Amino acid sequence: MNEAQLIARVIQGDRLAGRALYDMHAPRVFSLAYRLSGDPEKAREFTQDAFIRAFSRLSQFRGEAAFSTWLHRIVVTVVSNARRNELRFGREVALDEAQSIETSAAEAEPDLKESIERAVNNLSEAYRTTLILHDVEGYTHAEIAVMLGVPEGTCKSRLSVARAQLREALAAFKE
Amino acid sequence: MDEDQFDEVIRDLPESFNAPPPPPLDEMWGVIEDAHFNLPQSTSISRGSFFSTPWLAAATLLVGIGIGALIPRAKAPATVQPPVAQAVPVQDTSAVADVYRDQTHQYLGQAAALLISLPAKDGSKTADSAFANKAADLLVTTRLLIDSPAASRDVKLRSLLEDLELVLVQIARLRNERSRSDLDLIHQAVEQGDVLSRLNSAVATTQSSE
Repeated sequence: MNEAQLIARVIQGDRLAGRALYDMHAPRVFSLAYRLSGDPEKAREFTQDAFIRAFSRLSQFRGEAAFSTWLHRIVVTVVSNARRNELRFGREVALDEAQSIETSAAEAEPDLKESIERAVNNLSEAYRTTLILHDVEGYTHAEIAVMLGVPEGTCKSRLSVARAQLREALAAFKE
Repeated sequence: MDEDQFDEVIRDLPESFNAPPPPPLDEMWGVIEDAHFNLPQSTSISRGSFFSTPWLAAATLLVGIGIGALIPRAKAPATVQPPVAQAVPVQDTSAVADVYRDQTHQYLGQAAALLISLPAKDGSKTADSAFANKAADLLVTTRLLIDSPAASRDVKLRSLLEDLELVLVQIARLRNERSRSDLDLIHQAVEQGDVLSRLNSAVATTQSSE
């Protein structure tokens, strides 16, 4: 049974088809959610939320883009909305946590991996997401444009700015 | 760090940045299966939260009142004038259909106007409140129309009304809590469901059948 047939079966309420469709896409969706969130528990919640939303809107999928692109767009939206809410409510980095980071940074020079993670996470949301989608997850600009709902040119310029900011943040790093 | 080292960093990002652990596939599927397949097909998660609020009681009550107000008009003449019982329901069915068609046309026009004028990103709280109030008003009509014979005969209209209901619930919530992400979500829901073009098409259809 191909993907289109599975989708049609899921719309009709076939849970086995749902599981098959899920098995085809869940590993990549979870990977994307984890790359964007950096937290296994959040990645699990985002993956669940994305599939629940996708299944409930499956009849709206018109096949203009690949199903995976449509699904990954939902994942990106779910993660972005959650991150915005976290930032809005100031829950992401509690004050004591921030202080402990400062302390440890003063005590020991972070290694390259930590420096990269910190630099990527300090990028603004649009740049960070574009960089992760392109340079970490390997999506094309065309796919990212569909996922983020922006023109392809915007993706390219965002990636360029993101890399420039990352380069600047890592400039002082010495191995 | 020089250019070559930075290029190497970029090349190594898939291995070095947030390398994902193995996905808990069965655990996640259990939640998804419960949420999607163990509920009636027409009930989505987001609509569940709508139905769990006092909106349900108000909307259901108004649906009942609305249907109650329409149905007696169709049936009363048949009991008052038994000799013409066979002819009258045909006329009344047509009259009721006209009522529904007019109501649907008017409602679709108002919904289209609301969605078109929805702020793109940042709107004032006063404006949001006005949109939310209008959406709340339209929600009652939406539920009424979803349960009406007009929607039961027209699958496309019913699907559009159900999508509109979800969008209107989101807009109505702006009254209590507002954020840019809420507006983004609404715009995404409108865009992903192709709601506006379907709405315009439905307005044109109901207009041409008048």
